[in-house]
Amino acid sequence: MPAAEVAARVRESLQSIKASDFKDAQVMDVLELAQQLTSTMQLFFGSLDRSIHQEFSYIATYISRTREEISKLRPNDIKEQRIPVAGAELEAVVTDTEKATETIMSEAETILGLDAEADPAAYKERVDAAMMTIIEACSFQDLAGQRVSKVVTSLKHVEKRVTRFAQSMGVHDADADEDEKSEAERKRELHLNGPAIGGPEKKQNEVDNIMDLGQDDIDALFD
Amino acid sequence: MAVEMSMPILVVDDYKTMIRIIRNLLKQIGFENVDEAADGTEAFEKMKKQKYGLVISDWNMEPMTGYELLQRVRSDDSTKNTPFIMVTAESKTENVVAAKKAGVNNYIVKPFNAGTLKAKMAAVLGDF
Repeated sequence: MPAAEVAARVRESLQSIKASDFKDAQVMDVLELAQQLTSTMQLFFGSLDRSIHQEFSYIATYISRTREEISKLRPNDIKEQRIPVAGAELEAVVTDTEKATETIMSEAETILGLDAEADPAAYKERVDAAMMTIIEACSFQDLAGQRVSKVVTSLKHVEKRVTRFAQSMGVHDADADEDEKSEAERKRELHLNGPAIGGPEKKQNEVDNIMDLGQDDIDALFD
Repeated sequence: MAVEMSMPILVVDDYKTMIRIIRNLLKQIGFENVDEAADGTEAFEKMKKQKYGLVISDWNMEPMTGYELLQRVRSDDSTKNTPFIMVTAESKTENVVAAKKAGVNNYIVKPFNAGTLKAKMAAVLGDF
């Protein structure tokens, strides 16, 4: 029975009791009214039980579905495998590139420091050896490429799962926390944009043109 | 006025490799008196102790960025006239304009070569 109907029936019973002349009422009349009120209240509490039961059922179903979605998100795999492995791969890329750069620069610096005219034959031999060492060192690019591919694959997996979870649960982003906000604010104030994707946003000649501009021309860039 | 080739130059970058690259390029164009710092704080401390003929600084460093170093250098009487070239991967218009407003003498976008470095140094210091 809908709550509004129950309330109406309770109201009717109470009005009926109030309207009764208790002084002259027969005991049976009073009992009848009491019975009517009790029946109405039973209906009311019965409907209340059903309503609460329905609410709890809905909540239980929602919790169950959320658990299932979180399970599909596989957060432990992300936390214990995907992210740590991706981090380790990127650190290895940095280490590999550092080693390769060190090798290449050392060989280049050695060659630059040699006296080519003192002993041309020895010089050529040393240059040939250095070139081979430099060529070998460039193999880091293949390894770095493979490592970065693994990281990209992992990020795509994580992105796919998070996207599915957010869509399925109807999640909306909360505001960033204070640390993130202050970090973003610092980057904005200090113009910390980092390298642009696909090369410099402004080429050197365009930078030179900006450096040659007067204040009015600079202001016009932002109009 | 002729450029003093033995003048001390301070190279500021948080990547040792980049400092080494700039050192080599400077050596190739005739400057061998090169000092280095890993961020703005260390650079400014060195500048307070010694006068440099030129500062070549990266932008994106921690804890003090090259942009903050430039601002500090220009606001201090003992360092404000030091020639300052920014060498950075920050290539947005806003970066170039901010550096210019802060008093940078020239701006080089990474990656760059010895020719660009020499040309910008000549523009700041005079031909050498």
